[in-house]
Formats: sequence, C-alpha cells, structure tokens
Amino acid sequence: MTTRAEFMERVRREMARTRGLFPARVAERPADPMTAAELVRRQLAERWPQALERFRQEFERLSGVFHAVASPSEVPAVVGRIARERSARRLITWSASALGADLGEGFRGEGLDAVAMPDDPVDEAAARELRAINAAAEIGITGADLAIGETGTLVLVSGRGRPRSTSLLPEYHFAVFDRRALVETLEQAGVMLEAWHADPADPMSGGVINFITGPSRTADIELTLTRGVHGPREVHAIFVSR
Amino acid sequence: MTSKLRVSLMVTCLGDMFYPEVGVAIVRLLRRLGVAVDFPAGQTCCGLPLFNSGYHREAREVARRTVPLFRESEHVVVPSGSCAWMVKQEYPGLLADDAGAHREAQSLAARTWELSQLLVRKLGVTRLPSRVKGRVTYHDSCHLLRGLGEAESPRTVLRNLEGVELVELPGADQCCGFGGSFAVRLPEVSTSILDKKLASVESTGAECLVACDAGCLMQMGGGLARRGSRVKAVHLAQLLEDGA
Amino acid sequence: MAPAKPALERSGPHLREEDTLLSAPVESRSFPERAAGATRDRFLQQALTIATTRFVASRDEVFAAFPQGDALRDRARQIKEAVLQRLDHYLEQLTANVERAGGHVHFATTAEEARAIILDIARRNQVKLIVKGKSMAAEEIHLNEALEHAGMAVAETDLGEYIIQLAHERPSHIIAPAIHKTKAQIADLFARELRREVAADPEVITRLARGTLREKFLQADMGITGANFAVADTGTIVLVTNEGNGRMVTSLPRVHVALMGVEKVIPSMTDLVIFLQILARSATGQKLSSYTTLVRGPRRPTELEGPQELHLVLMDNGRVRQLAGTLREALYCLRCGACLNVCPVYRQIGGHAYGDTYPGPIGILMTAMLRGTPAVKDLAHASSLCGACAEVCPVRIDIPRMLIELREHLDREKIAPWPERLLFKACGWLLGRPALYRLAAPLARLGQAPFVRDGRIRSLPSFFGRWTRTRDLPAVAARTFGERWAALAREA
Repeated sequence: MTTRAEFMERVRREMARTRGLFPARVAERPADPMTAAELVRRQLAERWPQALERFRQEFERLSGVFHAVASPSEVPAVVGRIARERSARRLITWSASALGADLGEGFRGEGLDAVAMPDDPVDEAAARELRAINAAAEIGITGADLAIGETGTLVLVSGRGRPRSTSLLPEYHFAVFDRRALVETLEQAGVMLEAWHADPADPMSGGVINFITGPSRTADIELTLTRGVHGPREVHAIFVSR
Repeated sequence: MTSKLRVSLMVTCLGDMFYPEVGVAIVRLLRRLGVAVDFPAGQTCCGLPLFNSGYHREAREVARRTVPLFRESEHVVVPSGSCAWMVKQEYPGLLADDAGAHREAQSLAARTWELSQLLVRKLGVTRLPSRVKGRVTYHDSCHLLRGLGEAESPRTVLRNLEGVELVELPGADQCCGFGGSFAVRLPEVSTSILDKKLASVESTGAECLVACDAGCLMQMGGGLARRGSRVKAVHLAQLLEDGA
Repeated sequence: MAPAKPALERSGPHLREEDTLLSAPVESRSFPERAAGATRDRFLQQALTIATTRFVASRDEVFAAFPQGDALRDRARQIKEAVLQRLDHYLEQLTANVERAGGHVHFATTAEEARAIILDIARRNQVKLIVKGKSMAAEEIHLNEALEHAGMAVAETDLGEYIIQLAHERPSHIIAPAIHKTKAQIADLFARELRREVAADPEVITRLARGTLREKFLQADMGITGANFAVADTGTIVLVTNEGNGRMVTSLPRVHVALMGVEKVIPSMTDLVIFLQILARSATGQKLSSYTTLVRGPRRPTELEGPQELHLVLMDNGRVRQLAGTLREALYCLRCGACLNVCPVYRQIGGHAYGDTYPGPIGILMTAMLRGTPAVKDLAHASSLCGACAEVCPVRIDIPRMLIELREHLDREKIAPWPERLLFKACGWLLGRPALYRLAAPLARLGQAPFVRDGRIRSLPSFFGRWTRTRDLPAVAARTFGERWAALAREA
C-alpha cells in the first residue's frame, strides 16, 4: 500500500518536471474574515428588504413556497394549514434552542404530532427510536443560518439540536429565519463560510453545512423534472419579520 | 487611399481542384473593388489536414515552404476559414523553433484574411450586388466562427445584398460533420451530423445555403445533391459575382 | 423488517454472466463499429437529441443572464492551474485538516489500491449493505464489482445510476447516467425488478425508487461518495447533488468513504464559491444544484446523527503522471458534462460507444490518462475538432488542441496504423513538391472519368465509398484554378 510519504514524494517529483502552463493565482480571501463578515452584516442591516425580495423571487422560481409572519408564534399556524392541505401530521423539529423559539405547544395546538430533537446526545436505544421517528416524519422544521438572495438558497449548519436529516427525510421542509440570515450573493455567503471556519472549533464550521436550493429533484428520466426523489418534494421558507 | 491595395490569393487545395470558380469569383470581385490581385506560384495546400491528424512534422514542412511564397504580398485572401485559421493561428507555432521563419510566419498571419473579413474589416465594403435573389441562409464554419471568432462579417455582407433575404439557420453554429479526415474515418457519424444540419437548412425555406469554407461546402453540398434537394450550397464569393 | 434484497442478490454472482452476455458483442466491436451502430439506433438518437438539446438550451440561457460568468470562468481556470502548481502543499494541508476534524485519509496510487483500501474499511466495519452516491471516480475503478465480489450488497442511489444498476449497464453521461434510456424502457426495468406493473411515467417511477431506496439508506452500514471538491483550508469534502442522495449517504450510515482524484482539491471556501457559481450552470443550467453539501469530519460529539467514521481516499490512478504530461489541462475538469452536450459526435453516438468510464470529448482525454495513449488510437479521432467543447468548458480546457496533440503522439509513437501514416507522409511529401502536385489534377481527372455524371461523383469503390455512400463528391474541375490563372491574369 502506498504511504502518505511515498504518495507525496511522487506528486513532488512530477511537479518538479514542469513550471505549469501559465502564471496563476488562487482566489483572494478576506484578510480578516471576521471583519469582512461584519461588513457584510452591516451592509445587509440596511439592504435586507431588497435581499429578501430577491430571495422570495428566486425561491419561488425554484417552486419553493415563501411565507412571511410577524413573530415566531405565528409559524405553527402556517405549518398547520399546509399540513392539513397535505394530510400530514407527523412533524419533527430542530430543538427549541436551535430554532430560537419553543414552538412545540403551537404545533400540538395545530393538531400535529411534533417531536423536537434533543440538544444532547442520547443513548443507542433512544437514537434508534429517534431515527424511526425521523424516518416516518412528514414535516421537518428547521432554522436557516443563511438565506441567499441571488440563488434562493437556504444554508443550514448541522450541530447541537440541529440534525442533518430534519431537512432531508420528511416530504415537506419548512425553514424559519429572520433578517439576520439574509445575504445578497453567493460571494457574501463565501465570506460567511470563511468567518465560520476562522476558528476550527466554531460550531458554525459544522459537521455538515448544506446549501439547499429548492426541493429535491431529478431529471434522470428523459430529462423530465421530477421533485422529491430522496429529499423533500416541497420546501417552504418562513420569514419572521419581528 | 493613394496607392492601390494589393492582395494575393491563397486558393487552397480544395479551392484549386474542386471549386476553381470560387477563386475566379474572388479575383473578379476584388478587381471590381479596385484591388490588384495576384496569385503567387508554387501553392499546394496549407497543411491543415496533416496538422489536424497529428502529422506535425509534415505540416511544419508545408508551412515552412508556404510562408515564403507570400513574402511579397501586402495582404493574403483565403476563401476558407479553416485554411485562414491554419495560417493565422498555427503557422507561427509550428515554426517556433526557427526564429527567422517564426517571424515571417507571424508577419504572414497578420496579413492574412478570410474573404468576408477582408471585405468587411479591411476594405470596409458592405454593399455589393448579388448574382442571386431570394432567400439565403448561412452556415458558420467552425474554424471561422470559433477559430477566428468571426460571426458577423459574412452576415453583414449577406444582409446588405440587394434582393436577398438572409434567414438565420437554426443551429448555424453547429458543425456540419465534415472535419477533414473525420468525414471518412467515421462516415456514419459524419453523415448523421450532416443529416441534422440539412434538415435544419431545409426548414429555413432558403434556396441557397452560403458558407465560407470549401470543406463545409463539400460536405453540405454533397449531402444536398444526394438527397436531390433544390437548395444549392454556394460559397459567399459565388453570390457576389457580377450580374452574369 | 426483511431487507429489500432482490436487486442486490441479482447483482451478485449472476451479474457476471449477464454482464458478459450483454456486453460481449459491444466490447468485441471496434470504436468505429460501435459508433456506426449507435447512429442506427433510433431510440438512442431520439433520447440523445431530446436530452442534449435541453441541456444546451438551459446552459445557454442561464449564462446569457449571468454577465460575470466569463470572468468567473477565467478565475476558475486560474485557480485550477494554481492548485496544480502547488498540489503537494494543498494535499498535505487537506490531509492535515481532514485528520484534525477526526477523519482518516488514505492514499491510492492505482485503482487496485483504491479498491483494496475501501474493501478493507468495509470489512473492518463488518459492512453488509453499502449505499452509493453518484461517483465517476468509483465508476473509474469498477468499485461496485469489487465490493459485490467480496459479498457486500451495493445500492446505487442516484436515480440515474440506480436505473443503470438495474439494467446492468454503465453510465452513458457524466451527470445524466441513464440519458440513453426512454421512460418506457425504464418502466420495464422496474416492473421486472419489483415484479409488478409500472406505468411509463417519470413521476411514478421516481416514487417507486424513493420507497425502495429509502429503506436502503436507513439500513446501510456504509456510504460511499465521490467529491466534487475538497477544501484544503478546512478539510471539507463538497458534494453537489440534486436528488439529496448525497446527503442521505453522508448522514445515515455509520461509515462514510469519499473517493476522489487528487485534482479535486481547492484551497479555500472563497475558491469554492467561485466554482459553485459556474458548475451547476454548466452542468444543468441551474444557478446552484439543489444540494451543495459541505462535510467536515465525522459526526460531531454534539450531533445526534452522522457517520462515526469518515475516510477520504485520495487517488492518483494516472493523474499525477500528467502533472508534467500533455494532458495536464484535463486535470482542471469539473465533470460538468457540458462538453458532451455540445459535441456533435457525442450527440450522435451517446456515451456507451466510447467504451470506457468517461464519455465525450473530455472522456477521450480521461481515457488516455487512465489507460494510456494506445487505448485512444481510434477515439482520438472521434472529433471533428469543431471547438464547441472548448467554448462551453467552465474552466476553458482546450480539448480540440489536446486531441490534436494526442493524434500527434499516435504518429510519433507509431501507434497509428501504418497505411494511414504512410498515406499522410506521402501527402506531406507531395505538398512540398508543387511541380508533382500539379500532376495530381490531370491524374485524378483520368481516374474519375468513369464515375463522373454532370460534374458530380455518386459512387466510388473501396475506401472512397466512405464518402460517396451518403454524399456526392464534386468532380475534380476540368481546369483547376491554377490552370485558369494565366487567362485570368490577362483579364486585369
């Protein structure tokens, strides 16, 4: 088996035989990602309404469904209405601390079987049970760490109380966010990624970071667009304006 | 302009053997435009077929003997975009090892024009009489379009021809399937590409299919003739012949 | 619950027989024969026309509305070149950061080593069922066969790959593996597999696949993916998918193995964002694919799910040798498939005729890289050099130029057939002798005389028939231009 040293040695040997095809530079990164991210946030503090409008347009173009509510307490009513239209009851949600609001009562008030993901790791038996619940869930409620106007993309970082599969296994995914998540461009999202990774221990550097741009889709059969292959067939964005 | 512009014709191998009327049309056209035309002796082929098939030593020798033939030429006109591309884009590189030859090749490259480019970009001529009337369509030959980046000059000439309506060919920028030896290495594939091109040509309702490359004309003209189509494949120069 | 195994059982030992039966006639034919056969396959022609036309239109549309696209393509090309110039540095950095995040990194010089590494990981984890995301690298090393041979069940989970697996075929397009199949053919496949009626409706078929594959995701012990990118600065593996199978594979099984060619490493998140802006646009005409998944290490202690082990296999398999080779530029490739969709040859023959893992114009270069130049003796000529591929390539790989260089190599190394070499060399010799060259026309006129009607030739024997079977040939003119010049000169 090739060792790391042998492998790298071979790479270096071949590299030494050429100077390359032309002078080239990699992308220029923000010198201080934290400051750069802060600058983006300051710009968005003023421009967020335009960013939101662009997000809505792009998101709807992807067949996403956009909702706006005044406060988090109104989220369950929106979800409840859609759930009744789709005859869906089983709901899983990120933990209250991950969402920044405890909506459990609200969901139950809408007649939904809501299970919130725990913040702390659980034993194996409980994990198996959770997986069964997740697999059977029809509705998944998550937050969103970024909402990118240019592409209608929701960015979700996995971590404590925010499992990877809440936005993946159910047929209907709802992402709840407010204006702090809004950025205009992928380039700005790139600045955020740099800032999140500036400290490797930062929880925002994720286990997994997912950029979600519309529902799960395929065009593998005669290039006919079909939604909901493996992931959600519907994605809803709920903007909380408070 | 005080002194008359002098242009040498590089007729190309296909132009010489199969389409001499194109060369004749170019000579007469340029003369009518007040250009002095000559035809340097000793021309054979630009070497593109050799080059594209990977026979670079042979192509280099062809380039080495072709460049000096045009040493005295003020400008050189070529009826095929692919041969113009060969001279302009590949000759200097092929002769890179020999400083003198390389310099001369670069000079030739700068003085070489595909016909429509010479007309529009050098002579500034756009309004010309046409031999035919009616509907024509234009196929972009790959080397002229993507090799030399020229889509506009031929269209400018065609659009300004009196009594001629230029209809855009759907998929005009797609290859006709000629590709030199490709046409006989993979004849079924070449023909399948051609069939789609010709279906598109016939969908335009044009009577005349214009191109600026002898290779494409051989392929498309050959296909049209075989299917008994009423569409004629012609070189741009053939449209620009005087009245008769 | 009983594992849903029929598909996997069938892909066990039986596969080998069926495979041979299915592929034997294909493999025994030469490339020109396969290509000619493909042009006669009406189903294939129809499927190819629909698919490539839509892909091209979507791509053109999305780039037309993206004025910064051209500049980003230039940036992306530069980044790829810059990475290759310091490849050792970025690979070391990537390795260190993957390990820091709790992952394991392996080094595979050959396909065989890559297979052995992955098999070993699977065995140590007592893996029975593997779910796979779409990976050309895994196709390249024939990973499924190796895993199945070792008694493991492998389920492809990309819908297109799943279809191909059911049909015991290989992908025919880099991003749309089942592009050559009609919905009726696919419905038949599912019907046979599930032993029930299946309507020829993409919606219905997709629902069925969702149900079947969902079970597998939940039961699988190990997930295998490729990697679209790996970010050296953070040790992040990036997967771009539309279906979400890549997310399933990296979220649910307890082991995740990512296999990638060394050239996929990029420096930073800032570089990643540049590539993301052009990748989906080039591939499918989307601004972004549905899911871009950034995986950094195995499950965190704070997480409820995610793999407990993460392995990254860095693969050479012919790539490293090209750092100083003529195919270096092919190492920029993002595997978007745009060059396939615009290629007039691919559009006629589809992916299978190319006969190897990577089809289309870039596939010829990849095949040369993986198997050596003699393997592309015929394939190197599967291009009219029209240049459409270079025009759409997001990192502007000059594919036509590299094909010409491959052809040059075929002559130089005397791999090209000797009659061809003799013919071209004779032509070269003749073109250097204008006095002799001038005799060609009169001789041709003599030779063609029996075949000419109205200035055209409709039929010629032997080799020349390759032209005249489908096209007329103009006769050599009664007087060449050279022969007319003297008179023409006097006109002035």
